[in-house]
Amino acid sequence: MITLKEVWKIFSPDPQATLSAARQDDIDGKTLKQQSATIAVRNVDLAVTPGELLCVMGLSGCGKSTLIRLVNRLLTPTSGQVLIGDSDIGRLNTAQLRRLRSQDIGMVFQSHGLIGHLSVRDNVALPLEIQRIPRHQREDRADELLQRTGLGGLGDRNVSSLSGGMQQRVGLARALAADPGILLMDEPFSALDPLIRRELQDEFGRLSRDLGKTTLFITHDVEEAFRIADRVALMRAGRIVQLGKPQELVDAPADDYVARFVEPYRTTPEQPPLRMVQ
Amino acid sequence: MTAVGMETDVSTTERSDAIRQFSGRGSQYYVQAFHRIGEGRGRIGSFNPAAALLGPIWFGARRLWAAFWPILVIELLAWIVISVGLSGGANRESLQRADRLATLAESRQAQAAAATQRDPESAMTQSLAESAAALTKERDEAYAAADRASSSAWQILLLGIGGLVIVRAGVGIVATPLLERRFRTWRLLGDSAPTGLSLRGAIAATALMALVVPISALGFSGHLMPALASVPANPDWHSMTAAFLDGAMKTFSEQVAPAAGVMTGTINGALWLMETLLAATPWPVVMTIILALAWQIAGFRVFLLTVVALAYLALLGFWDKSMQTVALLGTAALISIGLGIPLGIACGYHRRLARLVRPALDFMQTMPAFVYLIPVIALFGIGKPSGIIATVFFGIPPVVRLTALGISNVPENVREAATAFGATRAFLLFRVDLPIAMPSIMAGVSQTILMCLSMVVIASLIGAPGLGEDVLRALQYAAQGQGLLAGLAILVCAVVLDRIVQGKAAR
Repeated sequence: MITLKEVWKIFSPDPQATLSAARQDDIDGKTLKQQSATIAVRNVDLAVTPGELLCVMGLSGCGKSTLIRLVNRLLTPTSGQVLIGDSDIGRLNTAQLRRLRSQDIGMVFQSHGLIGHLSVRDNVALPLEIQRIPRHQREDRADELLQRTGLGGLGDRNVSSLSGGMQQRVGLARALAADPGILLMDEPFSALDPLIRRELQDEFGRLSRDLGKTTLFITHDVEEAFRIADRVALMRAGRIVQLGKPQELVDAPADDYVARFVEPYRTTPEQPPLRMVQ
Repeated sequence: MTAVGMETDVSTTERSDAIRQFSGRGSQYYVQAFHRIGEGRGRIGSFNPAAALLGPIWFGARRLWAAFWPILVIELLAWIVISVGLSGGANRESLQRADRLATLAESRQAQAAAATQRDPESAMTQSLAESAAALTKERDEAYAAADRASSSAWQILLLGIGGLVIVRAGVGIVATPLLERRFRTWRLLGDSAPTGLSLRGAIAATALMALVVPISALGFSGHLMPALASVPANPDWHSMTAAFLDGAMKTFSEQVAPAAGVMTGTINGALWLMETLLAATPWPVVMTIILALAWQIAGFRVFLLTVVALAYLALLGFWDKSMQTVALLGTAALISIGLGIPLGIACGYHRRLARLVRPALDFMQTMPAFVYLIPVIALFGIGKPSGIIATVFFGIPPVVRLTALGISNVPENVREAATAFGATRAFLLFRVDLPIAMPSIMAGVSQTILMCLSMVVIASLIGAPGLGEDVLRALQYAAQGQGLLAGLAILVCAVVLDRIVQGKAAR
């Protein structure tokens, strides 16, 4: 269970000043530029319920990548609370935060962030190595996950010798290694070519549901969001414009912006939203 | 016809408007000229009369400073030749020489005449008369040469004027293409690139010309007033500052003497260890171990190289000395690496620290080693520890720089991913950053080893034994063969060390 309460994230030399001005709606684009300030996340409330796959969708620069980094405190919110389960992660000390990151949250990145000089197996076992789990145990666990993500037998390969899609599978296996309850997916499939992307989307949707992970999934791609998500949040300029089931967004878009986004899915009746899962 | 198939009116395109805005005065000419250049025809055709007439001043006015300076220098040469020609050719010096000879000949003749009066038959008189005759002859020749030179003065003058004309013609040819390039930059950058004619630029260029050309011309024709001829140095300031630095160094070395003692002790300990291993141990043992290491670490080819190298050192009698050298400079290299890698890591993580450290490293590498030998000797005395400290100073910069570079080049996304899985700072450093930076660090280590070995001669100047001594001795007695052999021995040591260390990284 992930809960965000009135979360703000402002990049600025003096974030608090920008924040109080923004709270009173007392700041325009020009002033922001003058202060070299960016309001990346603007008063967001969001809850991902246990076992749910929630997609945050939006164009680049809308703050979605910042949002996901607030969940495991790779970035600290300027204001507001982030709760994992019942605990406010803003109150954790360094050791507790590390434990949370290594045991309870798995993350997959667009630019995979694998370590080039390590083998595939060692990369997958990285979260376990950080937890100081004995070598044999973590290697066995890594092999099990490689099996599961369709990389069986590739454990001894060097990560840089794999294709982009394979590398992203390694990233996924790594995120699952510590068996965390929460998965954070930061545009994991965006850099892949369409065929591989669809294959991975389907596989991931299945895997995530089988394992019952609570997942926050970031994407700029409506098709991807509608394909895998239980619920979709559409983000624009740091705000969540609409949050709901894919069908709700199609049937009752909150405004023109949402309507334009879901345009391909509300066209002619003879083209039913086939591509939508469920 | 243009490639598109229709003739466009040059003066109405968007480009032409931009050219007009850019060029200010003479825009009609530049629209046409830039068009020709853009079409790829006629660099010569775009001869710029204004630039040819005004020379450097035109470049100042157009603020093409990058071209202004070389043109000013070339033109200055032409002006100098002209001034030499105007002041009578190169004969000024030969005239002076002839005058000197004339005075000498006169006094010799007077001496000869005096001697003839005293004793016309003596050998002394004869030799004086001969000398006087020779001097007179030489004087006549010198005057003749001066005459010839002054008759060629107009040739020099012509050469100078011709040179100036050629320079100006060249300037006229390159001016417009250069301005066209500036125009393209201006279109790209907008107003941050200078445009139009600048009065200030023209004034600055004129002032520079007015300062530089006449003074040089006067200087070369020998009419420069003495105040401008010699640089206004104040010798007192020099000696005062040097004396102050002497005092400061003395106080400093007294202050840190205890710390210096500890350092000397530590270095001597490390050195003793290395010397015992390399120099005191019987040679077959050392040689076997080095060869085995070369094979193990770096493979067969480096092993072969090492065999040849060690054979050279052993057969030509350099073995003991080279082991001493390697022990000494190896200690220095180890200290450099041991201090340099942590410092480099710190610099890689902290930009501000890196900004502070970089000038210090530049200083250590650029300052001639002889200069910092002086304070090192003052602090640590003459001997091996001083040699090692001076070597560390010189050898540490590459490993610091390349370690910092390697660390700061670690991809941020890899670091972020590791952090997201709960990595501690130590884990990030040892499992992520250092392995990724390793190739860069190893390059730094190799550079440091080579730099340390290159200090061998300088270290031996202050009493460090080894191959450097041989080179020094060869230098003193101009013994080329010995010098070459000893130099080659140093090279051989460096190459073997470097290949073995790098061999590890290459695998």
